[in-house]
Amino acid sequence: MLEMTRRTFLKISAGTTAAAVAVPKVLHAMENELGGKDFSPVTLAERLAIPTNCHVCNIQDGAIAFVENGRIVKLEGNPEHVSTRGRLCAKGNSGMWYTYDPDRILYPLKRVGARGEGKWKRISWDEALAEVAQKLDAAIKEDPNTICMKYGRNRSGGVIDRFMNTLGSATVINHTSVCESSKKIGMEPTWGPDIETPDFANAKYILNFGSNIMEAAYFHNPYSQRITEGVAENNAKLVTFDVRLSNTAGRSDEWIPVFPGTDGAVALAIGHVILRENLQDTDFIDTWCNVSTAELKAHYKQFTPEWASGLSGVPAETIERVAREFALTKPATTYTYRGPAKHLYGSYNEKATMMLSIMTGNVEKRGGYCMPRGMGWPQPQPEPPKPAHPSAMAHPHEYPLAGHKVSHLLPYFIAEGRQKINVHFSYQDNAVYTNPGAQAYWGKLYRDEKLIPYYVALTPFMGEEAALADLILPDCPYLERWEPESMPNSLWPWLGIRQPVIKSLGESRENRIMMRDIIWKMDPDGKRGMKQYWNFKDGEDYMRQHFDNVPGLKEAGGLDFLKKHGVWPIYGKLNPRTGKISDRTGREIVPEYGLHMKELSASDMTGTSVDGKGTIMKNGKAIGVRRNGKNYVGFPTGNRLINIRVDEWAKYGFNPMPTFKQIPWHKDMKDDEMVLTTYKINVHKQARTASVKWLAEIMHSNPVWMNTETGAKLGVKTGDLVRIESTVGHMVTKAYVFEGIHPKVVAIPTAFGHWEYGRLATLKLKEKEAGEFGATDDADLNNVWWEDKGVHPNAIIPTVVDPIGGSQGWYDTVVKVTKAGPNDKYGDVEGSWEKHLVAAKETMRYAYNGDLHRKMHPEMASWAGPASVKPGEGGGHH
Amino acid sequence: MSELRISSIETRGVPGKKRYAMVIDLRRCIGCMACQVACKAEFDVPLGVFRTWVPYKVVGKYPTVRKMFMPRLCNHCDDPPCVRSCPVEATYKVEDGGFVLQRYERCIGCKACMASCPYNARFMLPRHRSYTNITSVVDKCTFCHHRVSQGMVPACVQTCVGRSRIFGDLNDPGSEVSYLVNTLPTQVLRPEEGTKPHVFYIGADRNHTEIGRTIYDPSDVMNAERVMFEKNQRS
Repeated sequence: MLEMTRRTFLKISAGTTAAAVAVPKVLHAMENELGGKDFSPVTLAERLAIPTNCHVCNIQDGAIAFVENGRIVKLEGNPEHVSTRGRLCAKGNSGMWYTYDPDRILYPLKRVGARGEGKWKRISWDEALAEVAQKLDAAIKEDPNTICMKYGRNRSGGVIDRFMNTLGSATVINHTSVCESSKKIGMEPTWGPDIETPDFANAKYILNFGSNIMEAAYFHNPYSQRITEGVAENNAKLVTFDVRLSNTAGRSDEWIPVFPGTDGAVALAIGHVILRENLQDTDFIDTWCNVSTAELKAHYKQFTPEWASGLSGVPAETIERVAREFALTKPATTYTYRGPAKHLYGSYNEKATMMLSIMTGNVEKRGGYCMPRGMGWPQPQPEPPKPAHPSAMAHPHEYPLAGHKVSHLLPYFIAEGRQKINVHFSYQDNAVYTNPGAQAYWGKLYRDEKLIPYYVALTPFMGEEAALADLILPDCPYLERWEPESMPNSLWPWLGIRQPVIKSLGESRENRIMMRDIIWKMDPDGKRGMKQYWNFKDGEDYMRQHFDNVPGLKEAGGLDFLKKHGVWPIYGKLNPRTGKISDRTGREIVPEYGLHMKELSASDMTGTSVDGKGTIMKNGKAIGVRRNGKNYVGFPTGNRLINIRVDEWAKYGFNPMPTFKQIPWHKDMKDDEMVLTTYKINVHKQARTASVKWLAEIMHSNPVWMNTETGAKLGVKTGDLVRIESTVGHMVTKAYVFEGIHPKVVAIPTAFGHWEYGRLATLKLKEKEAGEFGATDDADLNNVWWEDKGVHPNAIIPTVVDPIGGSQGWYDTVVKVTKAGPNDKYGDVEGSWEKHLVAAKETMRYAYNGDLHRKMHPEMASWAGPASVKPGEGGGHH
Repeated sequence: MSELRISSIETRGVPGKKRYAMVIDLRRCIGCMACQVACKAEFDVPLGVFRTWVPYKVVGKYPTVRKMFMPRLCNHCDDPPCVRSCPVEATYKVEDGGFVLQRYERCIGCKACMASCPYNARFMLPRHRSYTNITSVVDKCTFCHHRVSQGMVPACVQTCVGRSRIFGDLNDPGSEVSYLVNTLPTQVLRPEEGTKPHVFYIGADRNHTEIGRTIYDPSDVMNAERVMFEKNQRS
């Protein structure tokens, strides 16, 4: 008998290579597929699958909608989507309820009765368009800039700009300043992009400053997937600085509570320790930054851990320990979202945090801090020219560096008469609910027919803003629209499409159709030259003009490919065994790293000159940097370097180097004063999900969080009513007393306490019939079991503007919290229009030309003052 | 087979038979609630009742505080008390795969199964639903039998953002669930009940595995549910 040793086995198999059986192979299991198909649990019939792009929030996951008997019954992540990998969050899973909201508006409505009285008349589209066209004509005659567009979430792919440019108005007001603008402005002049894309899955250490990435933030779903991979499969350590125990903080290896607005000081002190102990990546700094390691060391000397500890409450030894861990664990990355940025000097905070990834050389490394990867698409031709005159409200002169605008100052500007409004549009925007001041401030503005003589809301829902409109044009919810999409939500770029999953309900019309119809009404025969920019048959035709000529996609089939797959390119197959994308060989796909180290080609180099610093210039523009004899593309900044020193900030008297400014009114807080912060939770977005039943069921009320120690001091237990008073108003809500929050902070999530937005959001299901505006009832709403809708805090939050980035300081409000008195009722909210105007005026004193600017910047004593900067010179994001 | 077999329909190690299980890796659960909502959509589950739910608990003292999430669903036991307690054989176990399912047409709504389930995984469907006309009978998680039998994972697993829920065949030694159960410490809920659950938890802290079970505490929540149910029957 032949004894089968390893040696003889090898000998035999070597002679019989054709007999594949001889090579033992570990067989892979038959795992069930992770997505792409769904079946009715009742009939077992396969549900019709249509790929589209999620748009409950702005993460922009690839999605598949499943349709049964013409009804959208289920939503899934698109398994072919490289970022989404088949999964959606709770919000994305419930997006069909936008379509089937029983209180949805399905035809144009005209106000009858007083503004906000709630009396409406159904009118035809033709009547509605004629009325809008007539108002617009009159406005254009006076001055096109008297037409104002206030949009919130604009993913139209350029349609809204096209509309406003066609009308000739530059008065386009976005929502970015209540969102994330100071994060963007903190980053853009430094390294180019407005956001980072950390390689969480491959990181070994993740230092998170104030981002609640596991619940909300950019890019919740794809990033949460990668963070859990990093933590569970790669043993990454996750450390979170936050004022409260978000789910992210609660699932971190370490939660380090920090006093609001002081993340930047902590980050600077961590940098101080890294540089003091010589743990920085000298080579990276000296090669890629406009400040040398020696200069950086000298600059960071001032930011001692003891100094930061005094401001933030984080022990100095914790700062030192985290600094060493972060610098010595490679690869590592920082991550931030609104925590550091939404403060008076949020831009400084953001820059201070990103400095840590820069000085440790983790930029564009596997497992490190990478630049976003995105894709674009061409616009249909011809395009309307830009408006002739700039708008004094869209780009206020006080904020030349705020390239993402200062939208939340709009009520102040209109009230002070900075610019007249004749026609006001809102598109997918509920400023009356989402902005600081809310009903007390924006509500008053929108109600005032002198300030806003004519207001058109483009929306399918009776939100707090729409309820104050003169005319409502029913837009389509996202599952009924065409829109191009791309988001840098993983390390692989992609193009996607939102396509109608069902025929739009009722008489609703998607944004591009509705705006086209307005323009066509104004210029029916094209004589005014407006109609030529709106030359398309329907939404699909418009998409064809976007997508049929994108190189690569064109060869793959253009729009038809996107209609079939929802996304392009497809990088591989979702592996049911790993949940990751595998290539044809079964290996996990690997992204491209080191984008800044791409070398310029010989043709790129023709006609260039290289200056003493190695900057490669072509036609007066820097296109790269020469380092060690190689011509690299560098970073997408003006000089292709990382600008640790931002010279354009110095021009306006701001500190060009990494720095920190304590919020002045936080300095002398009394014992009974606290800081009020707001936050987003896992199952809601800001303003538009309270009417989504599955999300409202999970969370429908929002008691104010306070620390056990604080509760004991105030004599407040969970469930007790408390009164919260700020400089601009007060509110009464219930308390939730527990261990997961800084003792000097109270926190209230937004998304609750609606006074409009339909019967579910306002819990008025019995007071009105479903389908007031044409929609079909949902019998399940008979099962609503909760009786608390929460309280919305924004009316007591004053306007604060970051003088650099323009951000609202959401987390800067000092409040007094007391046990509620005998006259306080749950849900009381009171705010004052006058006090909100005073707050806006006060915060503008910090602007570069305000009287507090110099006082806040003693280190910039040599700055020649605001008069030294010519209007329009330098600054901002172009 | 050295292991004690307590049920005639148990398929542990039976060749040709599947033994589906779910592994819930609590290290990876971020409490995003996607699973809970995906399940609502998959089955048109009415408000007030859940086939799967994710309770949480805050543990520790400031500043050393953590948040624990505890996804729950039917454990598809090998020895299911609900099957034994059903007087009309409305509840049964599918041998190939191990699904514990409900025959709606036989259910008389006596709730004996609800009372006997140690995991409170069963509930009474209210009279109103959005578009499905199966109402006023007991319902529960099916491990998405209708999807799994057609080669797909359950809806909650499909959408699990943290990939905390993993589903597969324990009888297949090469499957991911086999790998996880065989190589990592796992726990089942209430092992003392002898139910032999098919939901395995990684990283479950026995001090906290009872959290959220009381969402259907018979003495407490079921009464509220009964009140709600009766109210809905009237309306």
